[in-house]
Amino acid sequence: MASAAAPPAAPNSLSLPPSQFARLQPHAYLLAHLSPPPAINQPSIRANGRAASQFRVTSANAGSLTHTNGSAVVRLGDTTAVCGVRAEILHTDDIASWSVSQSTNANKRRRLADSEKPTDESDDAEDEEDRAHVEDLNLLVPNISLSTGCAPGFIPSAPPSALAQSLSHQILSLLHTTRMVRAEDLRIWYQPPNLGPEELERHNEEEQMDVDAGQGLEEESKPAEIKAFWVLYIDIMLISLAGNPFDAAWAATLAALRDTKLPQAWWDIDNETIFCSDKVTESRKLSLRGLPIASSFCVFEADAAAGWRAVVIPDAEEQKALEKKGSQQKWILADPDGYEEGLSQERVCIVVDKEENGKGKTVVVKMEKHGGWTVDSDDLRQLVDVSASRWEEMKRILDQC
Amino acid sequence: MVGPTASLSTLSRADGSACYKCPTTGYDLLGAVNAPIELPARRDALKPEEATVEVFVKPGNTTAGVGERYVEGILRSVLTKVVLGRERGFPRRGVVITLAIVGGETVTRGDSYLTILPALLHTSLLALLSAAVPLSMTFSATLLGVNKSGEIIPDVSVTDAKSVSSLHVLAFTSKNHLLLNKSEGRFDFDTWEKVREHALSICRKNTIFNLDGDVAMGDGEESESQGFIRETVEDRLEKDYMWKIDSV
Repeated sequence: MASAAAPPAAPNSLSLPPSQFARLQPHAYLLAHLSPPPAINQPSIRANGRAASQFRVTSANAGSLTHTNGSAVVRLGDTTAVCGVRAEILHTDDIASWSVSQSTNANKRRRLADSEKPTDESDDAEDEEDRAHVEDLNLLVPNISLSTGCAPGFIPSAPPSALAQSLSHQILSLLHTTRMVRAEDLRIWYQPPNLGPEELERHNEEEQMDVDAGQGLEEESKPAEIKAFWVLYIDIMLISLAGNPFDAAWAATLAALRDTKLPQAWWDIDNETIFCSDKVTESRKLSLRGLPIASSFCVFEADAAAGWRAVVIPDAEEQKALEKKGSQQKWILADPDGYEEGLSQERVCIVVDKEENGKGKTVVVKMEKHGGWTVDSDDLRQLVDVSASRWEEMKRILDQC
Repeated sequence: MVGPTASLSTLSRADGSACYKCPTTGYDLLGAVNAPIELPARRDALKPEEATVEVFVKPGNTTAGVGERYVEGILRSVLTKVVLGRERGFPRRGVVITLAIVGGETVTRGDSYLTILPALLHTSLLALLSAAVPLSMTFSATLLGVNKSGEIIPDVSVTDAKSVSSLHVLAFTSKNHLLLNKSEGRFDFDTWEKVREHALSICRKNTIFNLDGDVAMGDGEESESQGFIRETVEDRLEKDYMWKIDSV
């Protein structure tokens, strides 16, 4: 990152190359880039050559792994995440709490789902049942692995670090709150045949055990039941970590889920098991709700010691006034790399979505800020706008992959 | 509304401790602080000039999992900023905060921890005050929900939290800085600004004592929950100095 950077403020008095200065005095080095002295007439730029609200070059590639149901590689500068989605079958017989009430309740939904294609404006009943199935039965299992030698701080084949664990939790929590994966996509239904004498013969001829192949009206008498669920194991490996692991991991998850194809599965009454079709044409993609895009920011403060000098912390109002007249005291850096993350404590993470596939208004799905007190509503408003433009960019990248 | 109840220094072996009970969410917490202590696994390469803040969250009926790791990280980043880790005796040492969830709903897998976060923050602050750890400021936190028609709901219970369209936890310092924000659900930024105003007024609600020149409350800047924190500490001090007060 240092090689591409401009020389620090006073190169003449310094016999060190910039890369060594960056290691010895990291805070002063970044500060010199962000607030260059007026004499040298340089724009404020980060040590890695980006503007403050500029993200790194992002690329995504879907379907990279052949043995998974869906996979993606997302590269965010030097941070690279590989995500694979593997679907496994969970029989309802194996669910201890699976009750009769749940399956009949689900039957109502089945009819509705047949009659109309699911839309974004889903009703409350569907939402509640989605939540009940996806969250209570744990149908989504994300896991992040950082023990790949991705960065010097992470020892390979060590137990998952606190960072890896909290990232896994954040991914799962975001999958739950956005309700991106529909429970209907994960259900495997069985329509018991109406065993009247004539129909029985016809069934034998056509071998129509397949539920999804369209039901005749005469079969309405027997309710369809859920026989199994697909459980999605979402495994993310960060093969290279240079800051901002959450954005990369989430983008990889998103791209992999968009790529995921589930084979057609049906309950075979004779064998009492689930069969899957191996024809690719019969498999179907997940219909995801929305496209939430995460953007992370870190805050670099000019005064490194501001946090611990008790007496000098000004009131929120005073601080605002101070910022207006005085020189800039903080810089909000989008998509921080490892070097910048090491120099800042305050983090902001904003996940936005846009309604109607990008034409509607911006909806904030998650907004998180911790580790400091310099960012307040004015800054957050700007960051939401930055995240909204990042949404456009990421949508283009994900659509192309 | 019934406010939270708390008591300080309930454990005798820890340097500082606090019990905290929040009636709206039903959480019952016990926090203990040991500071400054020597950390065995501490690497001096990481910021030798400061104290390391370690937070452990222990759920009531299971072992700590990935969710606890996450909430520990949030608490650590908030408390590291508030604890004055460069005061005498603190550099290279550790401030260890242990928070046990004694009662209340169990937090399920993948849950966002928003409902319990204000209680965890208040408990750790009270325990830090009880251990006399130097702090740059105090803070107070609140949990607010926004329902589907855009109304702000204060005092969100755990059951309410499942039905609201967005949930927000905001923490403000005693000098009105926004210390922590965690929002989840679907909302737009204007809604969030309203939530922020509301949360600030909850955290900064002036107490009625501030005009009569009472020294303890004389700042005029005491919030409801910060007033609550002050009252808890005052209660404890009064108890501890009973012998002195009586003798006067």
